[in-house]
Amino acid sequence: MDRVGKLSCIALVGLTAVSFVVGFALLPSAQADFSAQGFWSAICRAAGLPSRWAEGDGPATARVATRVVLDPRMARMDAPAAIGRGATLALNCTMCHGALGMSRSDAPNLAGQYPEVVMKQLLDYRDGKRSSAIMEELARRLGDRDIADLSAYYASLPKARTAPTTYDETLPALVRVGAPMRNIAPCIACHGGVDQKLGAPWLEGMPKAYLIQQLQAFRSGARANDAHQLMRNMARPMTDREISEVADFYARKAPSALSGHNGPH
Amino acid sequence: MFKAKRLVLAHFWVAFIAFFAAILLGEWQMFLRSPLSEWINNPEHYYRSVTAHGTVMAYVLPTLVAMGFGYALAELTLKRPLHGMRWAWAGFWLVIAGTVLAALTMGLGKASVLYTFYPPMIASPMYYIGVVLVVAGSWIWVALMSINLHRWKKDNPGATVPLAMYGNVAGAYLWAWTSIGAASELLLLVLPASLGLTDTINAGLARVLFSWTLHAIVYFWLVPAYIAFYTLVPRAIGGRLYSDMMGRVAFALFLVFSMPIGIHHLFADPQVGAGFKFVHAAMTAMVSVPTLLTVFTIVASVEIAGRLRGGQGLFGWIGALPWQEPMMLAVTFSFIMLGFGGAGGLVNMSYQLNETIHNTQWVTGHFHLIFAGAIVIMYFMVAYELWPQLTGCAPLRAGLQRLQLWLWFAGMMVLTMPWHLVGLLGAPRRMAYYDYSHPDLHPQAWTVTMSTAGGLLLVLSAALFIYILASARRQDTAAVPAFTFSRSAHHEARPPAALNGLGLWVGMMIALTVVNYGYPIAQLALTPQASVPVIPIGGR
Repeated sequence: MDRVGKLSCIALVGLTAVSFVVGFALLPSAQADFSAQGFWSAICRAAGLPSRWAEGDGPATARVATRVVLDPRMARMDAPAAIGRGATLALNCTMCHGALGMSRSDAPNLAGQYPEVVMKQLLDYRDGKRSSAIMEELARRLGDRDIADLSAYYASLPKARTAPTTYDETLPALVRVGAPMRNIAPCIACHGGVDQKLGAPWLEGMPKAYLIQQLQAFRSGARANDAHQLMRNMARPMTDREISEVADFYARKAPSALSGHNGPH
Repeated sequence: MFKAKRLVLAHFWVAFIAFFAAILLGEWQMFLRSPLSEWINNPEHYYRSVTAHGTVMAYVLPTLVAMGFGYALAELTLKRPLHGMRWAWAGFWLVIAGTVLAALTMGLGKASVLYTFYPPMIASPMYYIGVVLVVAGSWIWVALMSINLHRWKKDNPGATVPLAMYGNVAGAYLWAWTSIGAASELLLLVLPASLGLTDTINAGLARVLFSWTLHAIVYFWLVPAYIAFYTLVPRAIGGRLYSDMMGRVAFALFLVFSMPIGIHHLFADPQVGAGFKFVHAAMTAMVSVPTLLTVFTIVASVEIAGRLRGGQGLFGWIGALPWQEPMMLAVTFSFIMLGFGGAGGLVNMSYQLNETIHNTQWVTGHFHLIFAGAIVIMYFMVAYELWPQLTGCAPLRAGLQRLQLWLWFAGMMVLTMPWHLVGLLGAPRRMAYYDYSHPDLHPQAWTVTMSTAGGLLLVLSAALFIYILASARRQDTAAVPAFTFSRSAHHEARPPAALNGLGLWVGMMIALTVVNYGYPIAQLALTPQASVPVIPIGGR
């Protein structure tokens, strides 16, 4: 190596050493919370080593929204046998959710609902993370297998018929573009239209009263089984009128459905 | 040139056609976001377009230009036919296959994850495979550049490597090492998730691996422009290169310092320790050294040209410069944009200052000024300079070139200055629309209209660029004068051995990368429960 090479190596080693001393020793020592637990601990923190530095206030004591971890495997369609078993179990649900998952009361439609959605809500009811006098009691008696079978069955049914939409300016603004300055994402970014995110339910054709009730529950925090407050953060800034508009849009019925046919075709 | 004409032309044409398509997308995005247009009804279309614009501009255009220019330089500087022509074509077709695959996947809306990937968002595997093919094609180029230089050195023991080839191979080695970060992110983390083999991904580790590539890739884009500064500009304006040695120092320093600094892109990422963020910020500051050396050397070279043409006094040489030469305009515009962009970059790389503009439109303004401004304007000049060699045409029309360069410069300034302003005011980047009816945003609406107008100038300039190249008249090949590079003012001086080879600098680059990235990568890879569920995009 010639002189240029040697000098370059020495300069590089020197520069690296100086920046490490400044970054790992000098600067942390100037920060009270970095250096509170001693010199070595400050270096470890500067290196990014995970550490507990707020004892007792960690995530362990925080309120857990849901114990369900959404996993893409939950969205896969099960075998026909699971659908058959689910159909039998679903006889228990027809009173409110309709014979083929199309509710004639204000309970949500389940026909064609994504499997991971039904699965997550039933698990949340069972864990007491979502409250309903009826549903909590019913879900408590279901095993994991039952829940998977019910989800598979409802996912296999045809969805509600709704008036077709073109995603143009006639849609309510919140559905289409959200409200960027209030941090409300468009509904169609997760609930179908632009993208369908894992765990976000199919909403088209849902009873209006149910949609309003749930948005209000998210807004007040009465319903809190959404991980990372995903829906609570959307609903909190919404006005009553906006909730009503959005619910109107999703509850719209196809013309033929309005004229007496309630069942799926 | 000997055999590589068609090869280089193929690279350039694909690069420039893709570039033109991507610039139309860019202007469409700008228009959509402006008050001139209604809000887009399907924001996914916007992000699809952003992904395509970024993928073409960041991967396809610079890779193909660097490859094509590299092959041309290998023949023009070493004055012998390119060795490994079949491999070069294989690399070209790999890049094409990858581009087509990625383009189709993006067009179908299965890959709207932006070119920086952003796990845990996961696109269709076809998109990532396309990008990997583009990179794999470029690795063949890296190998060929290295082999050609080594064979030449073996046949010419002790000879000084021509500066252009020195920079070219430095750029190739830089790319080989820097692309390993994104390649390992894709192959080890993203593709397994995309193929459904895993349902979770270590997003923090993926981001650190991408940062390995994310900053140095800019210097890979930049090297062809710097080669043009050192070896084409002084010759084109009738001057001398002030210092050949300074060019070598700049390329060597880029090799060492552009690589292990990418964590400055992760200042807001909690998974990386503050100590490493500081070290990377300090090393990022070092990159300004080769940049400032280059600015000094090239301005000195230009001054020589001015004085050779009879310029007198402290500033008199400026008026004496050949302003009718497109190259003179290009280097001036390039330096102005490099100056603004570089000053903005100093804000980005400062750990604390960055907080004010992190993830705002300021950042978009910064990298458009540096890459699309200072660098791409030199890509235009490289094409103009090489075109007579490649096609046997007469020298291209200088008047049209000047118009094209003026349009590009004006368009880029009008596009990016408003971005810097609204970035300072807090406008986030990557938004499909803004609510201009909101009283807080309404006063900023005009800036977006202005950027849209700047974008229109860029579209016109790009169209003119394609027109100039396509309309070049064919003429007798024999009439095309031999291609020459700048002569150094002290051309008899021999560089020290360390600056006639790249081994030492490549070694330093690797060592510094291990020091700066080794611990963060190992720590994140070994942290338990560091993975999060993937979010498939366009899956349903």
